[in-house]
Formats: sequence, C-alpha cells, structure tokens
Amino acid sequence: MKKQPKPKLAFFDFTDCEGCQLQFANLGNALLELTELVDIVSFREIMSEGTDDYDIAFIEGSITTDNDVLRIKKIREKAKVLVTLGACATIAGVNGIKNRSSLEAAKRIVYGDKAGIINSIKAMPVHEVVKVDYVINGCPVYIPEVISVVKCLLMGKPYVVPNYPVCVECKMNENVCRYEKDQECLGPVTRAGCNSWCVNNGNRCYGCRGLVDKPASDAAKDILQKYGLKAEDILNSFTLYNDSMGEKYDQEFK
Amino acid sequence: MKYASLKKADLFEWLEHLKKKAKLYAPRKKENLFVLRPVKNVEDVCLEYIPTILPPKKYYFPQKEKLFKFSAQPFKTGKAIDKFEEFVLFGVHTCDIAGIQCMDVAFRDGPEDPNYLNRKDKMAIVGIECLKYCDKYANCTSMGNHVPRGGYDLMMVDIGDKFIIHINSEKGEKLVTDLGYIKEAAQADMDLLDRAREAKKKVFKEEFTGPLSKVYDVFDKSFASDIWKDVGKRCVACGNCTAVCPTCYCFDVADEMELNLDDGVRYRIWNSCQMDDFAKVAGGEDFRKGRDSRQRHRYYRKFKYPVDRFNRYFCTGCGRCTRTCMAQINLVETVNSLLNEKGIVE
Repeated sequence: MKKQPKPKLAFFDFTDCEGCQLQFANLGNALLELTELVDIVSFREIMSEGTDDYDIAFIEGSITTDNDVLRIKKIREKAKVLVTLGACATIAGVNGIKNRSSLEAAKRIVYGDKAGIINSIKAMPVHEVVKVDYVINGCPVYIPEVISVVKCLLMGKPYVVPNYPVCVECKMNENVCRYEKDQECLGPVTRAGCNSWCVNNGNRCYGCRGLVDKPASDAAKDILQKYGLKAEDILNSFTLYNDSMGEKYDQEFK
Repeated sequence: MKYASLKKADLFEWLEHLKKKAKLYAPRKKENLFVLRPVKNVEDVCLEYIPTILPPKKYYFPQKEKLFKFSAQPFKTGKAIDKFEEFVLFGVHTCDIAGIQCMDVAFRDGPEDPNYLNRKDKMAIVGIECLKYCDKYANCTSMGNHVPRGGYDLMMVDIGDKFIIHINSEKGEKLVTDLGYIKEAAQADMDLLDRAREAKKKVFKEEFTGPLSKVYDVFDKSFASDIWKDVGKRCVACGNCTAVCPTCYCFDVADEMELNLDDGVRYRIWNSCQMDDFAKVAGGEDFRKGRDSRQRHRYYRKFKYPVDRFNRYFCTGCGRCTRTCMAQINLVETVNSLLNEKGIVE
C-alpha cells in the first residue's frame, strides 16, 4: 500500500473545563499508537507548539460568545473533519444551564456590574453553528469510546452512537440497580455508549450523554413517582447537562 | 451410586476439591442481591439466595464474546473457535437449569451454534433444589420448574445437617467419587428426602390462575388485547427484562478494529427485542414500532412461539424479569390478566 501522509490533528477548546482533552491526553499507550497514524499538530495540554495547518479538528466546549461563532466557523472552513469532544461541545452540557434564565439575568448573576460590557450569547452545542462529522458524548468522554470514534474516522466510517439506554450496558455489567436501592438514576432514559461507567464505580447516571431518541417519558415519570421522586427532581437532574435542549425536556417531562 | 450424601460441615472441603478440578462458579452476595462469580474463597459461596442478577447464561453465552480474529491486508481470518476450559456451575436453581435446557434446544437447532456447544461440553452443573420460594416474584410452580426435571449432573437437596446429592451423569459421578466425606445415601436419608419433597407440596402453589395449556390457548387469542397497550405504556424500554432472562438469546454481530486499522476482532454481543431499533430494517421500516408491541413480542417469545417451534415454554418461572423491572411490569399479573380477560379463572 502506498504510504499516504498522516492526517494532521488539532485540538480547540471553547467554553469548558478542558477535562475531555485531559482524557485524550490520558489515552496512554493508545495515544502513542495513534501517533503512528496521525500527526498531532496542536494540543496545548501536551505540547507547546501549535499550527494552523490541520486536517482533523477536535472541538471541546460550547459556543457562548459572538467571537466563538466566528472562531468555530473559521475552524470548520479549514478542517476536513470536525469532531465534537465531550458534553459541552456535543449537547452544550453544564453551560446550557445558562439558557434557563434570560440572557440579561444570567449575565447579571455571573458578571455583576460588569454585565454590560461582557459579550455573551445563549450556550450552544457546536452542531447548532457548524456541521459536525463525529460526536463523542460524555462528561468527561469515555476513553474506549474516544478510541472507537477515532478508529471510525480514520477508516472513513460513520460512528453510530447507541440509541438504547445506559441500563442495557449496566445490566450486562451486572450492577445492582440504583432503583433497587431507592436511588434515582437517569440510566433508563440516557443514551448508552459509556459502558455504565459511573454506576460500575458506585455512582449513579447523571444523563451527561443526553436522551435516547424516543425516551419513554411517561413511563419514566411513573417510575420516579413510584420511588417517591417528583417530576421536578428529574427535570433538575436532566437540566444539569441537557438544558440546551430545554424545550425538549420541558416537553417530555413537565 | 445414584444418591450420595454430604454432611454440611464438609461442604467447604468439597468446594475446595471442585475448585482444584475445574474453574468453579457459584452464587455469592453483591450488595443486597446475588451474582454468580468465580469462587476465590469457598466461604463466600452462598446457597440460600434469590436468583442472581444475571442467569448462568453469561458463562455459556457471554455478554460479549469474541468469535474470531481477522486481518484486512492481506485478508486472513483466524480459527473461529477458542479453546475453553472445564468449568463447574455450582448451586444452580432448578429454574435456571430449565433455562439452560431451553438454550440448549435453541442453540442446537440448525445451524448449530459451535461456540455455545463447545462451552456446554466443558460445563458441569451442580444444582440445588429450592424447598421454599425465593421471593414473591417467582412463577416456577406454574412452569413446573420448582422441582428438578433433569438437565444437571448433580442435584443437591438440603435435608437438615446433610445434603442428598442425586447423581445424574457420569460427569457428575466423577465429581463425588473417591471422596471419603461423600457416601452413598442411607435409607434414613432417603426417607428425609421424601419428607422434604412432601412438605414442599404445601409451600409451592401454581401462580397462574389457569393451567399452562390454557395459557398457551390464551396467547393464541390475545395478540390484539388491550393489556399490551397498558404494559407498553409502563415500559421504559431499558432492556433489563431480556438481559436477565435465562432464555433470551438474541445477539448482534460486529467487527472491532485494532488501532493499527488492519487487525480486527469479530464479536457477538447481547441484543434485545426491547430496543427501539431492534426490528428496524433497511429502508427504515420498523416491524415493532411501539413499546407495547415489543413487550408483547417478549411474552410471545416465552409462551407461544417456542411452544410452536420447540414444544417447550421458554419461561422458566425464575421471576427475574419482574424482579428487575423498574416499572414493576409483573409477568404473573400480565399472564393472569390475559387469562382473566378470556374468562379463564379457577
């Protein structure tokens, strides 16, 4: 096979904690294997150099300012492939909570008397502004899934995010169900793909990967009520990560 | 020797012996529930338990199982079947043994499933008969699985300070012979066994309000019943019921590449008819769109279709689907409402 030049990989962050890039930096041996296939040309968490010459852009963080909009559009023009890395970039994540209040109120709460001079728009996932080729859900991203997505993109294959709930993977891992212990858990309505990472480690599901396509909201509400939880509780849990889709959640759960 | 006896005080010694002979799996506690696990310390083995979260199927039909390795350039495929080691499933309830029998029927139906058959060859089953109900969710009596009906190598029954062990195969016999502490059962022990079985008849009562033959008839006539709408409305499609079912055997097949993008593994992974996309085909057509039709399908796969095809009910009565359901969809209630709807009440 003729040796082709390696594609150039660059990382960009917007409004986020940079934790998903940290996950990528922590790929370990896989990161070294990956450098056989790609050149990482810009990644400020692991290298000082940087360049504007790249083929694949990994985008972390949500779009929250006018400048972000301009910047992401420029990246999109340059990148042959654009990947969103983590909940902030993929579903707006925690930043989406901002959208629950009016923009003015949100600015006042955060910036106080400087609110007037700060530019801020509603928090958006990247796909609301530019076309996205691959998405990697999660807060933070789950390393084995990152590797699966990277393999797909290098082979030019689509990556199919599961459309079934976290429970499917959780049950295969033979965890004791959180509901069995009278604890709430967003597993039944949250998209799988994380191998029930949190529950395996004694936590519950927070819904960081977003809803499955057709969540059984009525049934989910019934379950929560049976376990003594109110619709507001689940709405609050959901809005931790998913408020950029606030309307959808309101519609499903109110 | 057909029946042997083992003093309870010698159980751990026997377990140590089995552990040396083969890989040993047995029930143990996990938080407030139970799971089958490889035995590290024999003291952890728990014989008084409610059905484990996952049934024994995970050992002969694993959640995710490698089928073979391949490479793309040059194209090469590896040997399809791995070598498996001898293993003993210890302390299996009679309902789960019925589950293994169902899987056996399904996987032996042509084309035979070599992965399953090879594992099955290496497997020895030591059962334990329940003398009381595990909990309120079981429907083993209606299914006839509250008593041993074959399919095991050894079957233990607790008769106080001893276990009576029924030896049902050559493989089983090898696990109990030449051990000073396992003796042929005395007549007095056999009398105790009879008494235990007699007492059991007062404890176990049919859970369905009609006989099994009527259940089949009712399923034949209930495809359009509104009961499915109600079940579908409560279902969240989490797939728990099918994952924990000892007779659900659907799987998907997928390839996974190594990072060198040349070598890969083909594996199979459990799949479930409760998933939204399960019955979707090319072109986007979906044969079972709603959760109601998917739940109905699950029930028909236990009480109707396998009876037509294999002359066997694929519900074992273990109660796992009810126990695990967050929405409290209850199998006994569903079947009884169907019976009731068609006017069959005892």
